[in-house]
Amino acid sequence: MNLFLTVGIEMHAEMKSISKVFSTSKNTFSKHSNTHVSPVDIALPGILPVVNKECVRKAILMASILHCEIPDYLCFDRKNYYYPDLPKGYQITQSHAPIGVNGYVDVPFLNDSLRVFIHDIHLEEDSARLEHLMDETLINYNRAGVPLLELVTEPVFHSKEEVLAFLEYIRKIYQYTDISDADVKRGQVRCDVNISLSEEEGKLGTKVEIKNVNSFSNVMQAIDAEVKRQTDLILDGRKSEIEQETRRFDEATKTTVRMRSKVDAIDYKYFIEPNIPKMRLDSNWIKEIQSSICELPMSRMKRYENMGLSLEDISVLTKERVFSDYFDECVENGCDPKTAANWITGSILSYLNKTEKKITDISLSPKDLHFLLSKIDDKTISGKQGKELLEMALQTGKKIEECLSTSDTQISDEAFLEELVRKIVLENPSQVESYKNGRTNLFNFFVGAVMKETKGKANPVLTKEIITKYLS
Amino acid sequence: MKSEILSLSNVSKESLLNETKKKVLEHQEKCNSFVTILENASLGEGKESKLSNIPYVLKDNFSTKGILTTGSSNTLKDYIPPYNSTVYQKLLDAGAILVAKSSMDEFGMGGSGITPHTGVVCNPYDTSLIAGGSSCGSAACVCDKVVPFAIGSDTGDSVRKPAAYCGIVGYKPTYGMISRYGLFPFASSLDHVGVLTRSVVDAAIVGNAIKGIDSHDMTTFDSSSIDLEKEIEEPISTRKLFYIKELVRLENYPNASEELKSILSQFHEFIKTLQSQGVLVEEVSLSRELLDVIPSVYTCISCAEATSNLSNLTGILFGEPGVGKNVVEQMIDHRTKGFSPLIKRRLIIGSYVLQKENQEKYFVNAQRVRNRIVSIMKGFFQKYDACILPCASSVAPKIKDVNDKMKRESSILDNHMVIGNFGGFPSITIPSSFINGMPVGINLTAEIMEDAKLLSIAYQCEKLLDFKGGETK
Amino acid sequence: MSQKFTKELVHKYALDLLISLTEEENQMVLEEFDIIEENMEKINAIADLKEEEAMTHPFSLENVLLRDDVVEEELPLEDVLLNAKNKTMEEVIVSKVVE
Repeated sequence: MNLFLTVGIEMHAEMKSISKVFSTSKNTFSKHSNTHVSPVDIALPGILPVVNKECVRKAILMASILHCEIPDYLCFDRKNYYYPDLPKGYQITQSHAPIGVNGYVDVPFLNDSLRVFIHDIHLEEDSARLEHLMDETLINYNRAGVPLLELVTEPVFHSKEEVLAFLEYIRKIYQYTDISDADVKRGQVRCDVNISLSEEEGKLGTKVEIKNVNSFSNVMQAIDAEVKRQTDLILDGRKSEIEQETRRFDEATKTTVRMRSKVDAIDYKYFIEPNIPKMRLDSNWIKEIQSSICELPMSRMKRYENMGLSLEDISVLTKERVFSDYFDECVENGCDPKTAANWITGSILSYLNKTEKKITDISLSPKDLHFLLSKIDDKTISGKQGKELLEMALQTGKKIEECLSTSDTQISDEAFLEELVRKIVLENPSQVESYKNGRTNLFNFFVGAVMKETKGKANPVLTKEIITKYLS
Repeated sequence: MKSEILSLSNVSKESLLNETKKKVLEHQEKCNSFVTILENASLGEGKESKLSNIPYVLKDNFSTKGILTTGSSNTLKDYIPPYNSTVYQKLLDAGAILVAKSSMDEFGMGGSGITPHTGVVCNPYDTSLIAGGSSCGSAACVCDKVVPFAIGSDTGDSVRKPAAYCGIVGYKPTYGMISRYGLFPFASSLDHVGVLTRSVVDAAIVGNAIKGIDSHDMTTFDSSSIDLEKEIEEPISTRKLFYIKELVRLENYPNASEELKSILSQFHEFIKTLQSQGVLVEEVSLSRELLDVIPSVYTCISCAEATSNLSNLTGILFGEPGVGKNVVEQMIDHRTKGFSPLIKRRLIIGSYVLQKENQEKYFVNAQRVRNRIVSIMKGFFQKYDACILPCASSVAPKIKDVNDKMKRESSILDNHMVIGNFGGFPSITIPSSFINGMPVGINLTAEIMEDAKLLSIAYQCEKLLDFKGGETK
Repeated sequence: MSQKFTKELVHKYALDLLISLTEEENQMVLEEFDIIEENMEKINAIADLKEEEAMTHPFSLENVLLRDDVVEEELPLEDVLLNAKNKTMEEVIVSKVVE
């Protein structure tokens, strides 16, 4: 039997900002609990929300990137429910007029692109963090009020690979635009996955929502698990047992577990937040934000393709914006794109991986790399030596020039080499004689002699030039 | 009436404070107005303002750092806030001295003063009568001349109604003129900070001291160009006023009590007095069908917002933790024990009208009626400077006659002041006369931001009425 | 009394708000619901109501400013935990929340 999968994603990402979205405490990660908390974050009686402009700016930025319609007025709603991680008993979010609706984004997928339609994107606040111990739960309010962007797609995905491509690409955009670090390891991205299986192509089956999946790999596994569960039920003739419900993914058993059925669905009683006036969004401000959109990964990838880079290099280079920026700067400094890409995705990346550093942590500047490559280019040094020099520069933090002069590397001092060659020629008159009589393969004898004297450090090209001059 | 606050400037502040502390205790014995009495209140140093070293009382729904703040609810009976409300901070900065926190109908929900967790507050004129609510304690202590001013809050008419019952001035400025930061919310779109005094001038002085845009409250606006005291003596003769005929014509009340007849006839007499002063007073019409639904519209909107506003009361971070097998049971226990029966019923109504399947029919339609009434009033304000009306259909009712059950029908004259909250209009109650030994008041309401004009009209009316606060028993 | 509201329904509404009612309170809510229904009928009978915009704020403010992204106010840890009865040195404790 053919079953057709359809998936929609709700992706929540913690936004980067200095202060929280509705209060002025710090938006940061802290080792200690309850250290970045204002009266607003813990919902003390009498508090009021005050909207952070930077969070609105970033929300408009993302809505624009997703080609969404942006409303005339900024407006927030209360989503009412009780949970120990929600101090106010309601979350301030956007339901009546999200900051962006009806958009789309083109996602690179299998050497092509996939158009994903966006239902809406909205700005809201995060809840407190609960830590579950044996018989009690601890509440840490540092995360309460951290800005969140929730992105809701239409049900457009038909394979988990498409979902992954989308999630990876959106994460990339968040990082490129500095809207969010989107650090999955630190729990900054969480997804709700809506799944339906249908026996008929183009139709939706019964929608099952899997809530709060905390990593991309778990999203993949959750889809697998739910597809398997439903397929088994259908094959078993128990299709009617598939009902509209909310489930969660259990990491230990790699299965989805029922939370509540549709009948028990929570009525969130949304209504417009009266404490935040409706504010007209200045069209000039929106234009200003839109004109500040940086080059996005998709267009960078196209640009690199035009430079003739391999798909593999493109993929590695654009994975992180800082990495791609580094490459761009190298090219701006005059490096050949392909060569620069080789060095960056090769030696530099392996050093970074080995030392668990980021490209922004190293002292080797794109200018330095250009200098190094130009020395290889003009044959001052060999490629192998270039690698050694690079290694040294990365490890010691010294400039390439400095490494070049202090290191055991090539001797390119012309006067020194001339003196050496002159000495060798004088000491070996018979070989000179034979060479001049046609035994041209003796040329290598002289090169070997220079190398022996210099312990192999003489610049071979220069050495050959000088020898040719002296023998002719 | 002259300013009592200014008249205290030559009085020894030390003896004023001692005298006040004595009166606080006496008044508490008599009326039960206070949740907390600050016996250690002391004189401040060197702050120069009209309010420096003037004693005052704050309603117990304003957050005061380090000082018990309960909202007169069992859910918060031991709650010590770690932060200051903006109003309290401004009064601290002005050097005023807080001598007590006054009790109120629980979280401001109620209009009688019989629901505080510390017991009923009674009317200083006759302790068998209510002071009115929800700012009952603040109204009673100002009436009893304990302090020259007290701060209240007004969601329906919670400053202006008790002011009328107690024969004092109750002023609710334009929505957003005074910050609500630190005011325990009842219904955020209707909640206002208000002032209770014994003269219009004092209401202006206190209003000036506590108003202003606040970075903690996005609904505040810059009112620096509005000076409530400066134009207060402007003559009234050029003003144009209106009243709503459906509310003040005797024929609209087939079963009118003698008291109501007196209230209406005294009102019309005063209108004649104004007209004799050259004031244009005209009658306008606001349809009976709209007036009749005002209480329902108010209940619908205020209860809905309250349901959400009081959701933070779970006993986890503050309040006595509930008992139960799990966290949900504990929250239920906390809320069930903490809220009074009235609040519980109101919250259920609020939740009901917000439910997905009901929201459009109840909550949203109530918001639409609110809009219609406000639009009609705005139309009137284009032509007139202010609306003038009686405050209520009676004097303060007897405590024993009051219960908090929802009424099938209530007098339209007892509910019209909520229009001021619907539109955020500045609105003031001033005492006008006595009926059977109990005070009644006149209410004036103006277009938003027209507070200075409203206070000058109220000031001139106050002069014409020449109300002499009687001896309280 | 209308059939629309039952004791069970009122009980459910209350529980949604984490409130439990006594029999007497439940009865009172039922009576009040009847009054509310009656009055809401009056509201719904008002002409052309749908044309009216739902009023969510008393009036609209021009030039409301959004807040600059700066850190201003953080409570010391002891103030965060000041009113909590069950706490560790750093956190608030509740009975184990089962997900």
